[in-house]
Amino acid sequence: MTIPNGLVPQRDDVNLDELKRAAESILLVSGGPVTVDQLVEALGVPPQTVHALLWELQQDYGGRGIQIQTLAGGYQLCTRPELALYVQRFLRLDHREPLSQAALETLAIVAYRQPITRAEIEAVRGVRSDHILERLLERHLIRDVGRKQALGRPILYGTTEGFLRYFGLKDLGDLPVLEGNDPRGALGGMAPSPQASSVEGSGAV
Amino acid sequence: MPYIVKIPQFEGPLDQLLTLAQQGQVDLREIPLAHIAEAYLAGTEHKVDLEEATEVLWMLAAMIEMKSRLLVPKPQTPAEPLPVEEEPSDLEARLEEKLQEYRVFKEVASALRALEDYQHRIFARPPGDDPNAVFLEGVTLDDLFRAFQQVLERAREEVGEIAAEEVKVAERMESILTLLAQHPQGVLFRDLFAAAATKLQVIVTFLALLELIKNRRVRAQQPQTFAPIRIALATT
Repeated sequence: MTIPNGLVPQRDDVNLDELKRAAESILLVSGGPVTVDQLVEALGVPPQTVHALLWELQQDYGGRGIQIQTLAGGYQLCTRPELALYVQRFLRLDHREPLSQAALETLAIVAYRQPITRAEIEAVRGVRSDHILERLLERHLIRDVGRKQALGRPILYGTTEGFLRYFGLKDLGDLPVLEGNDPRGALGGMAPSPQASSVEGSGAV
Repeated sequence: MPYIVKIPQFEGPLDQLLTLAQQGQVDLREIPLAHIAEAYLAGTEHKVDLEEATEVLWMLAAMIEMKSRLLVPKPQTPAEPLPVEEEPSDLEARLEEKLQEYRVFKEVASALRALEDYQHRIFARPPGDDPNAVFLEGVTLDDLFRAFQQVLERAREEVGEIAAEEVKVAERMESILTLLAQHPQGVLFRDLFAAAATKLQVIVTFLALLELIKNRRVRAQQPQTFAPIRIALATT
């Protein structure tokens, strides 16, 4: 449970245990995920130390009601899934509505093949998808990321940061990888491609 | 969850049946679509999931269209010799490739489903001012209703003659939007209701607010249960 010496600034008064508890209190008061940069600044230690402190903290939470999650933007304190019932009862929240199977599949295609047009999505699914895309846009899970330089200049879709949060992902590289069947590799979605370079007007977020 | 078809000829998700039919792997002429529709309708007598119903309706309609095309006789003798058909093996390979591609995304989707399920069972403090945030963060319909009752209670205390006046929801929506535009940080729920509001004005304002939330023009946020509800313009 100790941190290798090289990661800590050469100051005798830095108490690692205190820093760990400081990191914990920062996570508590923050309204959302706390980035590594923010912790570096607040704690005055290098990023490696921040990672190490949070790793230890996460170990400390074993068997407790809360945990630390790494998702879009940084670290966040959150509850444990097995306690959902109590938390929901307290917050008077209903069970959260999952995405429909069709919406989930469409979202998967956008996530792994972005930027992608509606026609390209429909070519994979074999059915029309305009209605589903609209609902995903409404829920801020996907967004318009520009237009493809092709006939009709169709809109290109990509995922949002809300998408990462919805699935508890750090970044797009954190998407589930399937053995031997990774749609990114096999289908050439994520790699920079001529298609990607033809995207324009993708600055707006 | 996808609707599961159970007929002697096919057992599995309806969308899979549609995919197989589109790819020519299933002969729709052998599939009694009416039975599937009847079985689904029978199931909806207890409970209707609108999203699912929409999808089922759409998929059935698509299959009925394909089936009707299959049943209409084709012209016997083409005027010109048919263009050389694609090599069957090539066609098969392409179908197989398509199917494989789709299968991969199905698998990915189920991996995402597991992540979604996990995230749905954990809770964190909502991020402060996030444009992507859920529109009714921490506010249940009950909370809105309770706040509305409080305002109504106050309105009731004003005893006096009420002049006939017409308050339109659309106008109230506009004035709420104008007010919120002046307060980027948002305003408290109760401040939307002017102190001297009549009952009618209160009701119209509440309707206007619900409409704006529904249309995702404004967001209602409540940091904690029973805390004041804050209304702000939706930033996206």
